[in-house]
Amino acid sequence: MAEPHSAMIMRPGSSAKALSPRAGEVLLGLAVGALGGALQGMLLASSLAPSILEGILFGAAFGLFFAKRATSPGAGLIWGLAFAVLLWIVFPAGIVPLLAGATGTHSMLSDARERFPELVALLICLGMPVGLGLGLWAELQAKIAPVRFSWRRAIVAGGFAGTLGGLIFGRWVSSGNYFPLLAGYGPLSVSRASIILLHFGVALLIGVTFGLLFQCDVRGYGSCMGWGLAYAIFWWFLGQLILLPLTAHRPLDWSADQASSLFGSLVGHILYGLILGVTYATLDRFWVRLFIQSDPLNREVGGVGIHVLRSLGWGAAAGLVGGIVASPVLLATHALPKIIGLDTSLSGSRGLLLHLVVSAAIGMTYGLLFRNEASSLGLGVAWGWLFGLIWWFVGPMTLLPLLLTGVCDWSADAASALLPSLMGHLIYGATTAFAFLVMERRYTRWLLLDPRIAARETRRVRPVGTPAPALWLFALALGVLLPILLG
Amino acid sequence: MNRLFRRVLIGIPAGALAGTVLVMTLTHPLLGMILGVLVGACYSASLDPTRGTYVDNLMAGGAFGVPLWGLVSVIAIPALFSHQPDWDAEQMRSQFPALVGWVIYGGILGLLTQGLNDLAASVWGPEATSVAPSDGRKTRVVILGGGFAGMRTAECLEEQFRTNPNVALTLVSETNALLFTPMLAEVAGSSLEPTHISTPLRSSLHRTEFIRGRVARIDLDTNRVFLASDPKAGETAPLREVSYDHLVFALGAVSNYLGMANLEKHSFNFKSLLDAIRIRNHVIEMFERADREPDTSKRRALLTFVIAGGGFAGAELAGALNDYAHGILADYPKLRREDLSVVLVHSRDRILPELSESLARYALERMEARGVIFRLNTRLTDAGPGVVTLSDGEIRAETLVWTAGTAPNPLVQVLPLEKDKRRALIVDRTLALPGNPGLWALGDCAAVIDAKTEKPCPPTAQFALREAETLAKNIRAQVEGRPLQEFHFDSLGALCVVGHQTACAELTVPFVRSKSMRFSGLLAWLMWRGIYLSKLPGLERKIRVLMDWAVELFFPRDIVQTIDLK
Repeated sequence: MAEPHSAMIMRPGSSAKALSPRAGEVLLGLAVGALGGALQGMLLASSLAPSILEGILFGAAFGLFFAKRATSPGAGLIWGLAFAVLLWIVFPAGIVPLLAGATGTHSMLSDARERFPELVALLICLGMPVGLGLGLWAELQAKIAPVRFSWRRAIVAGGFAGTLGGLIFGRWVSSGNYFPLLAGYGPLSVSRASIILLHFGVALLIGVTFGLLFQCDVRGYGSCMGWGLAYAIFWWFLGQLILLPLTAHRPLDWSADQASSLFGSLVGHILYGLILGVTYATLDRFWVRLFIQSDPLNREVGGVGIHVLRSLGWGAAAGLVGGIVASPVLLATHALPKIIGLDTSLSGSRGLLLHLVVSAAIGMTYGLLFRNEASSLGLGVAWGWLFGLIWWFVGPMTLLPLLLTGVCDWSADAASALLPSLMGHLIYGATTAFAFLVMERRYTRWLLLDPRIAARETRRVRPVGTPAPALWLFALALGVLLPILLG
Repeated sequence: MNRLFRRVLIGIPAGALAGTVLVMTLTHPLLGMILGVLVGACYSASLDPTRGTYVDNLMAGGAFGVPLWGLVSVIAIPALFSHQPDWDAEQMRSQFPALVGWVIYGGILGLLTQGLNDLAASVWGPEATSVAPSDGRKTRVVILGGGFAGMRTAECLEEQFRTNPNVALTLVSETNALLFTPMLAEVAGSSLEPTHISTPLRSSLHRTEFIRGRVARIDLDTNRVFLASDPKAGETAPLREVSYDHLVFALGAVSNYLGMANLEKHSFNFKSLLDAIRIRNHVIEMFERADREPDTSKRRALLTFVIAGGGFAGAELAGALNDYAHGILADYPKLRREDLSVVLVHSRDRILPELSESLARYALERMEARGVIFRLNTRLTDAGPGVVTLSDGEIRAETLVWTAGTAPNPLVQVLPLEKDKRRALIVDRTLALPGNPGLWALGDCAAVIDAKTEKPCPPTAQFALREAETLAKNIRAQVEGRPLQEFHFDSLGALCVVGHQTACAELTVPFVRSKSMRFSGLLAWLMWRGIYLSKLPGLERKIRVLMDWAVELFFPRDIVQTIDLK
C-alpha cells in the first residue's frame, strides 16, 4: 500500500510567529488539557481545581514529549489515547493504590474497577481532545506535508468500508435483534427500519472518520486491522458510554458495572473494527494501485507476485512453528479439541494435527497481512502480539461458538472464561511473527545489496515515528485489561 | 564491537534498573530482578536503535509489558513453583498487581534502553553493519551468455555469495532478456505474444551487473573479455573490456547449415524471438500474396511451408504452423485448403528421436491426420528462391525453416581451448576446463559428461539448469578453497506438443530410472502447458501467457503483420 514517496508538498509559510513552535504546542496542550480537565471534573462530579490541574499537566506533558509525533489528527488521537491509558495504569490503578497501602491483589483490582470512570474520563476528556488538537495544529502548521493526503480517497474508501462493514456486520447480528453499534442507546423504541438506518449511519460515520484520520498511518492490511481494532475500542468508549446515552437523554454511567453490561457491544465493536480495517485496506490499496502505482512515472522495482507467494509460504511455516509452541498452553487449557470446531470429540494426535494445519493456515494470513510492517524483530513481535489478540476475538470469542453452538456469547463472563486461551493466542502470534521475520530477513538481506531494492524496501517498510507503538499499547493494554476488569 | 553484544550490554543495566518495579510487584523479588535483566537484554537485542525515539520506546516497552505479564506471571512463574499456571479468570485477576508492574517496567525499560543507546552512540559511535566491509580486491565472475545456462548460473551465484561484497558478478548477453524457448513455436504460430515468453535479465537479477553486448574477443592470457563497440560509434571506438577471475562460457549454440551457404541464405532460422516473429509475419505475407495471385502453381508455392528437421523444434514448429495456417484460411476466402501444405523433412525414419518409438509414431500419425506432410529418410541438399531441393526431388516453396542442426557458438570455436568433434568445449566432471584455472563451461557450447553414467549430457534446458546449479557451487567452493563436486543429473523426461490440444509426454519414474510413463493426447497437452507454465520465469509472465491461452479459446489467432519483411 505504501505510496511512492511523493515529492514534498510545500505549504505557504505562515507569517512570523511570536512563539516558537515548541512553545506553541505546549501552550495548546495546556489550554486543551485545562478545558478537558474541567469537563472531566464536571462529568465525574469531582472538584474542578484538581481536575483542571490534572488536565494542564496532561496537556503540557503531551505537548512537550509527544507533540512531534502527533503529526496529524489521527496520529495525535492514537498517541493521546495511549498516553491516557498508560497514565491510568501507572497512577490511578498502580502507584496510587500502592502508596495508599492497597497492596493486596483484590484491593488493587477492586480499586481499579472503582477507578474505571477515571479511565473513561482520561480517554475522552483528555487523551482524545489533546491528541486531536495537537495533531490538527501540527497539520495546519506544517510547511511540508510528509505524505500526500487525499480527501476523496479517505472519504470514498472510508465511507464505503464503513458501509460495507456495517452491512456484513448488520446482516450477521440483526437476526438476533441486537445491534452492537447501538447498544449504548438502551432499549430502542423505534421501527426496525429506523434502527437499521441508525446502525448504518453510525457505521458510515465511523468509516469516514477512520479514513480521514488514519489514511497516512495505515500501510498494509495488518496494520489497518490493528488501527481498526483500536479505533473500535475508542468508539466504544465514546459512542456507547457517552454519545448514545446523551442522545437518549439518559444520565452518563461510566461505572465498571455499566461497562460490563455493555461488554458484548465492545466485542461487537472490535469485530466491526476488524472488518472495517481489512475492507478499508483493500479499497485503499485498490485505489493506490489503480490511480497511483499504475502510473509509469511511479513505477517501483519489481512488483507484486512472487513476493506474495513467498510471504504465504513463510507465513504457513511460521504459523506451524507458532502452533507447536502454543500447543502446550492450548492443550492444558482444554481449548485444543474445540479449535477444530466441527467435532468436539477430536483429541489426541488427530486434534493436534488439525490444530497445526489450522495454525499454518492462520500463519499464512500473517504473512499476507503484516508484510513490510516491521523493521526489526522486536517490532515484528509486537505486531505478532496484536495479531494474536485479533485472532482471539475472531476465533474463540466469535467463530468458535458460532460453529459449535450457532450462537455467539460476547458477555464479560464468557470473555473471562476464555482468558487462558488469550495467553495461548498471544504466544502463537508472537512466535509466528518472529519465525516469519527470521525467514523473510534471511532471504531479503542479500537482496538489499541491490541499491534499487534497498531503496524500495526503505519506502515500503514502516518507518520509525509512526503511531504504531501507541497503537500496540492502547490495543494490547485494553484488549487484555477490559476482560479482566469487567468480568 | 559486535552489534548484538553491544545491544545486550545496553539492555542489561536498563533491565536491571527497570527491574526494581518488578521486585516490588512480583511475588518473587529475586526472580523479578533476574527477569528484568533477561528481558531487558532481549528487548535491546531485538530492536534496531534510532536516536531520540523516547516516546516510541516508552509506548513499545509498555505494550510489551502486557504479554510479558501473561507469559511470565500467569504461566511461567506459577508453573515453575506450583506446577500449574494461574490461568483461569480468577487467578489471572489475582495477578493484576503484576500486570501493572510489568507495564510500568516495560515503559521504564523502553526509556532507559533508548537513553543508553543514545549515550552509546555518542561515546562509541554508530553500530557496526552486518555486511562485512569489502577489502577492496574483489573476485570477479563473468558469465558470457544470457540463455538458460547463463541466467541460471547468475541466479545461483547470487544465492551462493549472497551478502559477500568481495565477489562481483557480471553477465554479458547479446539480448537483454531470457527467451523461454519451449514456447517459441507458439509465438511463430501466433498463440502467444513475443514479449510474454521473454523475461528481462535486468529485473530478474539483483546483484549481478548486466551488460548487453556482443563479445568481440577473449584474451585468456590477461583474463579480459572485449566487447564489440556500438556500430554507430565507428570502427575506431575503443572496445569495452571486462576483466575476470572466473569466466563462464554459457554461449549456447547456433544453427548449423552443414556448409550449405544457400540454405543459410534462403531459409529462416528458428533460434531467437526475432526468428519466430519473422516466421509468423512471413506466413501472413505469403497468405496476402497468395490471395492476389492468379496462377495456381505460384499460389501453391506461396502456401507451401517446409520445415527441415524432425526433432523437438521442427516437430513443434510444424504442428504450430500447420494449425495457424489452416486457422487463418477462414480470413482468405479465395484460398483453398488444397493449396496449403506444411511439409516436415527429416533425414531418419522417424521423428522425435528423443522420445520412444511408440510416442514418435503417435505424434506422426496425429500430425498427418491434421494435415502435415512428412518426407522421412530424406535430406535437404540445397535451397533457392522459391525452391527447396531434396535428396529425392524438389519442392516448390517460398518458405523454408531450418531446424536440422546446431553447432556451438562460433566464438567458442576460435578459442585455443580443447574441443570435441562437435566443436564444443571439453569440460571435466566439475564443469571446469581442464588445465585452464578459472575457466568454466556449460550448456549447449560445452561437452558435459555425466559423472555417474559417463554419458554425454543432452543439450537441453533441463540439463543446462542443473549444470548451472553445480557450477555455481563449484565456483564458490573454489573461491573458498573447498573441494568441487561432480555433475550428475537424471533426466525427468520430455514433452512435445504437436498440434491443437495434442502432445506427447514421457516422464521418468522416480527411483526407477529405467522406466518411464508415457502420455499422449489432451492429457499430455495439459501436462505440457502446466509444466512449462510453472517453469516460465516471473509471475507476471505466467499471467500474461495464461491470458493469451484464454483469449485463444474464444477468438481466432491474429493475422496482423507487425513487421515489414520486404
